[in-house]
Amino acid sequence: MDFLIFSLSLMFVYVGLAQLLHIQFGMTGIPNFGVVGFWGLGLYGTGVLYVEFDVPLLIAIIGSSVVSGLVAFGLASLVLQKSGQAILAATLALSAIISTLMITEKDLTGGVQGLGMIGYPFPELENRNLLFFGFLCAFVLLLIWGSAKLRDSRLGRNLVAIRDNEELAASLGKDTASTKRMTFVVTCGLMGVLGGLSAPLHQFLVPYLLAPSLTFAVWIALVLGGKGHNLGAIVGVFATFGLFDIIVETYVPVPAEQAILLPNFKLFCYGVLLVMIIMFRPVGLLGEDRPKERKKEASTPLANATLKEG
Amino acid sequence: MKLQAQNLTKAYHAHEVVNIEKVTFGAKGLEGLIGPNGAGKSTLMGLLTRRIAPTSGDITLDTGDGVNKLNPLKSHEVARIGLIKTNQRIQGFDSLTIRDSLRLAVTPPKKEGFMSIFAGERDSEEVEERVSRLIEAFPFTDRNGYARSGGEKKLVDILRCLIAEPKLLLMDEPTAGLPEDITRSDMDMVRKKVASGKMRVVVVAHDLPLIWEYCDYVHFLSEGSILFEGEPEEVKSNRVVAEKYMGV
Repeated sequence: MDFLIFSLSLMFVYVGLAQLLHIQFGMTGIPNFGVVGFWGLGLYGTGVLYVEFDVPLLIAIIGSSVVSGLVAFGLASLVLQKSGQAILAATLALSAIISTLMITEKDLTGGVQGLGMIGYPFPELENRNLLFFGFLCAFVLLLIWGSAKLRDSRLGRNLVAIRDNEELAASLGKDTASTKRMTFVVTCGLMGVLGGLSAPLHQFLVPYLLAPSLTFAVWIALVLGGKGHNLGAIVGVFATFGLFDIIVETYVPVPAEQAILLPNFKLFCYGVLLVMIIMFRPVGLLGEDRPKERKKEASTPLANATLKEG
Repeated sequence: MKLQAQNLTKAYHAHEVVNIEKVTFGAKGLEGLIGPNGAGKSTLMGLLTRRIAPTSGDITLDTGDGVNKLNPLKSHEVARIGLIKTNQRIQGFDSLTIRDSLRLAVTPPKKEGFMSIFAGERDSEEVEERVSRLIEAFPFTDRNGYARSGGEKKLVDILRCLIAEPKLLLMDEPTAGLPEDITRSDMDMVRKKVASGKMRVVVVAHDLPLIWEYCDYVHFLSEGSILFEGEPEEVKSNRVVAEKYMGV
């Protein structure tokens, strides 16, 4: 049971990350390949503040998320107006730098030996892991709701315009550079929050957690579910992490000698799924969704007529 | 309203595309800019709106509230002062409906901040009405959908600029590819806007009859320099223009 709650919590962290990537890449067109870096800053930042400096967990999470956001701001100022490839390479490189720093700065992070322990809040409660899972769910659902609000907002429309044709948006007076930067900083800061929330889940932090495989898993999930759909992240993560890491690994009776092959088989399936999606349905399982049109759109008789016909 | 360029040059490597001693746009209402292919018309438009960086020269925009030097500004800052340009090549936002595209243009950037996520209604009644009024004046195949043909996309580009209500609008080949009737209603709308005193317009076009009919003043550009300026009648009968452009 505890393991299931742990897996589900981890899954919701993935959903949250994919949701934020949906805003960054799906809406704004910023290919962030350093998801694990910003998440990792939140994770390790929280760990270091909590373990080494005895900062309360909540404050540690907030503090480390601010650091994530600040690092994102620095990176954004340097590369966000460059081409997509440049952003991709720079974010990937940043996540590698962060992972390496966590190994080399062993006075703070414990290096490869690890950093611990970080417990759940309210240690006196028996079901504290369940409570924490509930909180995590609420936070991720809030992210999904928030990104639906963003999609339907003036800012969201501006982000889509910038993604489609940045030069044209600028010629209409939109400050595209600062809008992109603000979006990137806020979403990377929120990735940091998810990292901080992951610290009590993992309890013991090792640099291995910062491997780029997390970035790829989130990307695969988002592309699979639909990068341009608000629910693409959640569907994608359920179809990858949920299906393989939770259902297959926990509930499907696989003989012990074959079980060792499961992780490889999982990667194989991810690969096949991804190729199929890119070949047959590049917009992802759910496709793209559009902002809600207002109901009383038809204020004029002419528009009314067209609505009825449709 | 005065958009002025002085000693403006643009060279790609050693090849000089634009070399203008002095030119003023926006002083006369609806102005035309004509010239043979390769004269540098589009480059000049790009220079004026800061999409292209000049090799040398100063550009200033006098909006009546003060004189702005455009050289240090970015293109979105130029647009905010009130100088916007429509595009010769078809440009658009593929994921936005015609309505959304116009709503985007009419919404001032300061209303698109982070807090707009929590606003109850996305666009005010006033915005909706302005958008509807403009859309219904033209025969789009799907008024609530996307611009389909190249002509519709071009038209949306023009409407987007008109609804943004710039003080000075530069139109680069606005009617190329549009059917005759839409060209007319389009240009009539532009002339009405100019007559109402809301904006000044400069039209770049190869369609000379259109220029003669609609423009109050015409600039003739050839080989990167302004060779002649004047009323349509003067330009029409000018020998240099005839030789260089109309081939008579």
